[in-house]
Amino acid sequence: MTIMEPRKHGSASDGLVGGRLSRFEGRMKITGAATYALEYPVEGVAHAVLVQSTIAAGRVTSIDTSAALAAPGVLLVLTPEDELGLMTASDWYGNRPENQPYFPLPREVSYNGQSIAAVVAESRELAVEAAKLLRIAYDEAPRVADLYDPAAGKGKLMENLSAGWGDAEAALAASPVRIEAEYSTPREYHVAMEPHGLTARWDGDRLTVWEPSQWTHGMQRNYAEWFGLPLENVQIVSPFIGGGFGSKGVALAYGAVAAAAARKLGRPVRLALTRPQNFTSYGGRAATRQTIALGATEDGVLQAIVHRGFNETSTYADVPEQTGAATPILYKVENFSSQSRVVPVNVVSPGALRGPGKNPSAFGIECAIEELAYKIGMDPLELRLKNYADHDYQSGKPWSTRRLREALTEGADAFGWSKRSHAPRSMREGRTLIGWGIGCGTFPVLRAPSAAMIRILGNGRVEVVSGAIDMGQGTYTILAQTASEAFGVPVEQIDVVLGDSRLPGSAIAGGSMLAGSITGAVHKTAAAARDELIGLALNDPMSPFRDTGANTLTVSEGRISVPSGEGLSLDLAELMAALGREEIEVTRNTLPDDAQGLTDQNNAWSSMARVQGPTMGDYSMHSWCAHFAEVRVDEDFGTVRVSRMVSAFDCGRLYNPKMVESQWRGGIIMGIGQALFEEGHVDGRNGRTVNNNVGDYLVPTNADIPDLQVISVGVPDYEASALGGKGVGEVGIVGVAPAIANAVFHATGKRIRDLPLTLEKLI
Amino acid sequence: MTRTLHLSLDINGRRHELDVEPRVTLLDALREHLALTGTKKGCDQGQCGACTCHVDGQRVLSCLTLAAQVEGRQITTIEGVAGPEGELHPVQAAFLEHDAFQCGYCTPGQIMSAVACIREGHAGSDDEIREYMSGNLCRCGAYNSIVAAVREAAEAAR
Repeated sequence: MTIMEPRKHGSASDGLVGGRLSRFEGRMKITGAATYALEYPVEGVAHAVLVQSTIAAGRVTSIDTSAALAAPGVLLVLTPEDELGLMTASDWYGNRPENQPYFPLPREVSYNGQSIAAVVAESRELAVEAAKLLRIAYDEAPRVADLYDPAAGKGKLMENLSAGWGDAEAALAASPVRIEAEYSTPREYHVAMEPHGLTARWDGDRLTVWEPSQWTHGMQRNYAEWFGLPLENVQIVSPFIGGGFGSKGVALAYGAVAAAAARKLGRPVRLALTRPQNFTSYGGRAATRQTIALGATEDGVLQAIVHRGFNETSTYADVPEQTGAATPILYKVENFSSQSRVVPVNVVSPGALRGPGKNPSAFGIECAIEELAYKIGMDPLELRLKNYADHDYQSGKPWSTRRLREALTEGADAFGWSKRSHAPRSMREGRTLIGWGIGCGTFPVLRAPSAAMIRILGNGRVEVVSGAIDMGQGTYTILAQTASEAFGVPVEQIDVVLGDSRLPGSAIAGGSMLAGSITGAVHKTAAAARDELIGLALNDPMSPFRDTGANTLTVSEGRISVPSGEGLSLDLAELMAALGREEIEVTRNTLPDDAQGLTDQNNAWSSMARVQGPTMGDYSMHSWCAHFAEVRVDEDFGTVRVSRMVSAFDCGRLYNPKMVESQWRGGIIMGIGQALFEEGHVDGRNGRTVNNNVGDYLVPTNADIPDLQVISVGVPDYEASALGGKGVGEVGIVGVAPAIANAVFHATGKRIRDLPLTLEKLI
Repeated sequence: MTRTLHLSLDINGRRHELDVEPRVTLLDALREHLALTGTKKGCDQGQCGACTCHVDGQRVLSCLTLAAQVEGRQITTIEGVAGPEGELHPVQAAFLEHDAFQCGYCTPGQIMSAVACIREGHAGSDDEIREYMSGNLCRCGAYNSIVAAVREAAEAAR
């Protein structure tokens, strides 16, 4: 558990919701004092390393451990022979198969790079050395390397993802203008700077896990169910997370291995994945392919969209990367059809990576819409505005708020879009071709119940306490601001305690649902704490306010006062002393009244069962954005540089614009990486990810990124959240890659439909 | 057991004694043996820059440096950048003000690089800052703010 000291810069209003307060925990991060999972000093810790399969499919027939066990400092070797006694845990929705054993080091291999053994030794160096001495024999089976393997097939139709209205095929056939094309995206990886790993320690039948976590309560449940423990016997500690982007939401096989090894050895075990092991210990974004057909009138009125998508998945789980997720809601269209398929290949199950579904989906539809614009000779901005969706044609519901029109027009103004020359290859400086493109993005508003605790301490400080996490989105900061505003104490007087499964439960930091959910819970709790304090001040026999005759009191700037401003006024420490109280603790949650039982609460905090989708109420609720990109392409070498971007966002009210702008830029930069560099290369012979490191899997460097102008055009949306915000974390990446692909087409006249936009595709 | 070396390392102006295997890197010596965990391990193969420290004032990747190589040299880590009373280095203050980080994991390496980048005279323009800060990856994407912070700190240092 970590307690943050408040840091403040700028004006007094910065501490309130909507202020530009600097990062609350910032000083700890810039001085090296922030402690990440693998950095906790744990007495007597042993070090584990994983050994991964070198085949894509088959069976481990034997592992000769004798040399490894004889190596210096080796304590334990685990192989598929070892019975770890684990049971399969629930899925994200809280469903659990009965009596199904779980094998984190399985005998059956389903992908190259699967963990099949572990070596534990006195030091990491000794464990690495001993791991090299394992002799592993396999019985290899035929493998499907990737989506392009001839053996991959057409996969399975995901019926639940089919969508349609009107008669799309007929309307398409009747349309005077038609385009149809296939768009594809490769395997992409999270590449959080902090590699995955953990330290696990047993104290009797209690397990403590120091592990970076986007969801402390969800991971607590994973470990508890694997090891057959009551929930409260497992503690996940995660006050700082070195980036997650979707990869740190659930416990993974290596965690089970480390905790099982710690139990067997009777001493704590630390397991740090190597950077290459991060590429196969959990899934990145699945490779996708999609065809989109658009039908339109000659003056650009959309008549029909037909979408058919498919993505790779593993051989053991059907994980859709929904390429049809943004397709139905970006434009007004009366005739629509979408189907999605998953194709099992020998890869680790794909995961959620920033903007899941919406991201590759927007790549398809936003490239297609510009292809249509060029086909009919219309400005792509005009075409988008012409087909503006006045409501959600999929659900039939009105938008809660949708300022995409403002995003397009204000973004265009800031970018200087009106100076554009329409024809491809018509803008250049010498041998450098210049192109401009647009990409729109969207991400749904997801909401989940959350709880929070407020503690008023005898010294007058106010603690905000939640099991929610901060991986850089700004949770510490915005919760201090929220409590400051709701309670009426300055932000300097507030401490924020996060990142521990012993604390009140919260939404996952994923699907852009945490900020809106947890600020609602903290706001409610802080207001309740203020009311409780006022109640005590008015009624407690020891309270000095009893003699004032006041029937109400105010709390402002950390002082509790009679309303006139003339009478008695005490600071919180003075009032607590007068009341003789060391601490006042108030806990509230945002669950419905009929779901306040312990089981309901545990389920709510540790599963997705109560997550509300974007159209579950009367409205259709989403964040929106429009990206404007300028690229410079070397005519001779085909190298693409993004030279300028303007992005306008509708994310509702911004709780802290400084944090939000950082998140938006972060998403945009990841989108630039996706557009230009990022691609997992798979060796077709053995299904191995060959560029499994950050020297070969390229993510953007500082020199790749120009100044990025970000604009907020949102208005508060109180349907979407208690404080009026919509999600900001995911939407930033959505639409970036198509904006850049469209700009590259404008610059070069070459339409590249498969990411990334590397030079060999352009020359 | 394997052989160990006895080393005396001068880190942030303090002498540290430790016994380690010859193959232990400076990065692991700091993190696993000396409880100086501000220096981060992002890749352990010299690609990401998170482990950047100063050795005799020069930036080095501590994951590619053996602890035994730096005996007798002055090592500075992120823990040694602020003043004796905890006053922030101008680069640290600028990072906070410009929100030049999110998750914070690459940040110590970014700051160590930035301090050296300015001292090397490689912070003359935004483009130069971008180029000379490109050995430090930031997956959260704080690059714009990092450039702004380094620019401001460099201007203050002139």
